[in-house]
Amino acid sequence: MSFLEKFLKMVGTKFLDWSFEIGGMVLLAWEIFRNLLPPRMDGPETWRNFYRVGVKSFPIVVVTAMLTGAIMVIQSGMYIKQYGAYGLLGWGAGYSVLREVGPIMIGLMFSGRVGANNTAELGTMRVTDQVDALRALAIDPIRYLVMPRVLAMVVMLFLLVVIGDLTALIGGALTGEALLGVDSELFAWSIINYILLEDFTHGLIKALAFGYAIALISCHFGMRTSGGAVGVGRAVNASVVTSAIAIFVIDYFITYMAA
Amino acid sequence: MIEVKNVTKYHSGRPVLENISFRVPGGTNLGLIGPGGSGKTLLLKIICGLVEPDEGNSFIKGQQVQGLGLAELTKLRFDIGLLFQNYALFDYLNVTDNIAFPLRQAGKHSEEEILKMVQESLNKVDLPHIGHQYPNELSGGMKKRVGFARAVIPQPPIVLYDDPTAGLDPVTSSKIFLFLKAMKEERGVTSITISHDIEGIKDICDNFVLINRGRVVFYGSREEIENEKMPLVRQFWQGFSADTLG
Amino acid sequence: MAQKKSADMSAADMTIEQQVYDDEPGLLSAFFAAFGEPVVYVTRTMKELNSLFFITLKYVIAGKRRPAEVIAQMHEIGNRSVVFIAVTLGFLGMILIYQAGFQAMKITGDLTLLGALFLQLLMREFGPTITALMIATRVGTGMAAEIGSMVVTDQVDAMKMCAAEPIEYLVVPRFIASTIMVVILTILAVLISYLVGSLTAYTAFDVNFRTYFDLSFISAFDVGIGLTKALAYGMTIPIIACHAGLNVFGGSEGVGRATTQSVVNASLAVVVIDFIISGLGYVLLALL
Repeated sequence: MSFLEKFLKMVGTKFLDWSFEIGGMVLLAWEIFRNLLPPRMDGPETWRNFYRVGVKSFPIVVVTAMLTGAIMVIQSGMYIKQYGAYGLLGWGAGYSVLREVGPIMIGLMFSGRVGANNTAELGTMRVTDQVDALRALAIDPIRYLVMPRVLAMVVMLFLLVVIGDLTALIGGALTGEALLGVDSELFAWSIINYILLEDFTHGLIKALAFGYAIALISCHFGMRTSGGAVGVGRAVNASVVTSAIAIFVIDYFITYMAA
Repeated sequence: MIEVKNVTKYHSGRPVLENISFRVPGGTNLGLIGPGGSGKTLLLKIICGLVEPDEGNSFIKGQQVQGLGLAELTKLRFDIGLLFQNYALFDYLNVTDNIAFPLRQAGKHSEEEILKMVQESLNKVDLPHIGHQYPNELSGGMKKRVGFARAVIPQPPIVLYDDPTAGLDPVTSSKIFLFLKAMKEERGVTSITISHDIEGIKDICDNFVLINRGRVVFYGSREEIENEKMPLVRQFWQGFSADTLG
Repeated sequence: MAQKKSADMSAADMTIEQQVYDDEPGLLSAFFAAFGEPVVYVTRTMKELNSLFFITLKYVIAGKRRPAEVIAQMHEIGNRSVVFIAVTLGFLGMILIYQAGFQAMKITGDLTLLGALFLQLLMREFGPTITALMIATRVGTGMAAEIGSMVVTDQVDAMKMCAAEPIEYLVVPRFIASTIMVVILTILAVLISYLVGSLTAYTAFDVNFRTYFDLSFISAFDVGIGLTKALAYGMTIPIIACHAGLNVFGGSEGVGRATTQSVVNASLAVVVIDFIISGLGYVLLALL
């Protein structure tokens, strides 16, 4: 085989692989949509997932958000100190955290904590034939396994970003006070004066989209796992990588459309 | 040659092994039997220092395994071959490299010698033509035999077999038991054999230990186990139905 | 107490069934345990990571050299992440230029500094950190899953029995390869993001390329802090991923747990290290 043939073959295989995965996700999205109107899902399972997704990722989101706020204050602080414009610190850090960095960082963390966990869990159920066992008991795996998780992830990532935004601003204010000597009152004043409600909602729209994307991707790769312990690892890897790409691509389009 | 003294191991607060003691004289084979989940594999790992016991010690050739430094432990392990229950072949290496791995680590032989030794050992386990294949292309019986070849290729004086015939057909099983027998009779190795195949190990083991729920229920020679009246021992030895086991 | 009860019974009389233990903790101790557990977990994990790091470092300096292994790992970490890094960081470049451009248009209407400030921020913060988060995601899960399944299938124990130390054999090549490749990928990521940003600035805001490619802001400090971060991330990620992999227990479920743990801990470590180095950098800049 010549080099060109090999290259074309590689491109073709990659293309088919990606088409297969994307097609699978679209089908799953359709299934989810169909089960949503009217809502058909397992009630207790949904509550359990709300608890697991929300409460279990709460600490890591708070820590990440706090540090993100702090880092953004440090980064903008380097410029603000140069120009002496201390009144702009709250705006500079707040604007970037609320619109961009907050949702992205929390989304990536959420994908690592919840998305990866979800794929691993569904994948394990899959390789140990538990999903087939559900089918044999006449329980629809989409309704029982997928729907509760999707709903929990969308709702919880939204709420976590709300909480995360708040903690990020607190973390920023603390760092500003400790490192830059900017009074937290001035920091708050700067946020109230310059930050628009639109900056906040912009981030929340992103959170909703990220939540849905992570849920769809992690469930898709989980439900498609095959090949024992090695297969579970591979599925988790594919799931988090695709989620990360999806987060940046979706973020771009939302930013583009809002502009 | 091998000695286990008062070994106890807890797992999340519960004893998995409790006060286990026995010894295996040089050149003999000890059969380790018991119901599944009674900690037999764990005991083997404790003996060769892969797992630390919470109490007690194991001794190899009179040397205490616990508390050894990494270098001494490594040196000691050159004398022990371990056949793993699930083969534990390195799945990123082909069969030849798998079997050659311990020899290359030891670094005592040249590359040509190693390849010659690997081929000889492959011939011995009746798999002369699979050197280039990878573990995932082999059947369970073949993997087991490759694992066997890898465990014994450095000619260790001590070999531990963890369920060498689990999940194999009767023909392959009897082949494996023949290897075990040959190891003892021709090379004079000291060994411990875990097995659920009582018929198979009846002939190749000199002493037996029956473990139930992490405790030694019976420890004695072949004659003793044949005449033992304890119900659990009788069940195991004769493979009765589990009436009295509940 | 429960242990004693079982000891009183003769083991031979026991039947094969589940034993029941009656040591349920009280409400108060459960309350304290909820606070204490994370603290204990974090201190223990930190201690283990620390010792793994120093053992690895010892082998890097004094151990056997395995160039073939290191190159194979560099290929796995580097070459196979290039597309992923290019896509994510390319989009990041577009996003940041959009956000910054619109804000600047609204406030000052002056976009001459867009390229220069963007490159500076990219070097100081987003280039190394987002690249590291991506590597933690892709490579971290990969390493944890690979080593984890080796542990589950007893291959790591088999390695020890063959007198090969798993840390030297598995962790060291990954550590060296990751340290080198994260630095290289970071440089690549900054370049890609900067170039994609230039196209966005040109098409969306009509910033011409000569204004955009303005390097006058960049100092040794910016390059230094970016490379320091990349180096620190490159050393931390494989240690955390390999630690998660080596501590797997219990089948495919355990492997899944380890991969999750690996991404979360590695990402968190990246954020914490980012905070520490940025803070030190700020203090350093203030002193200069």
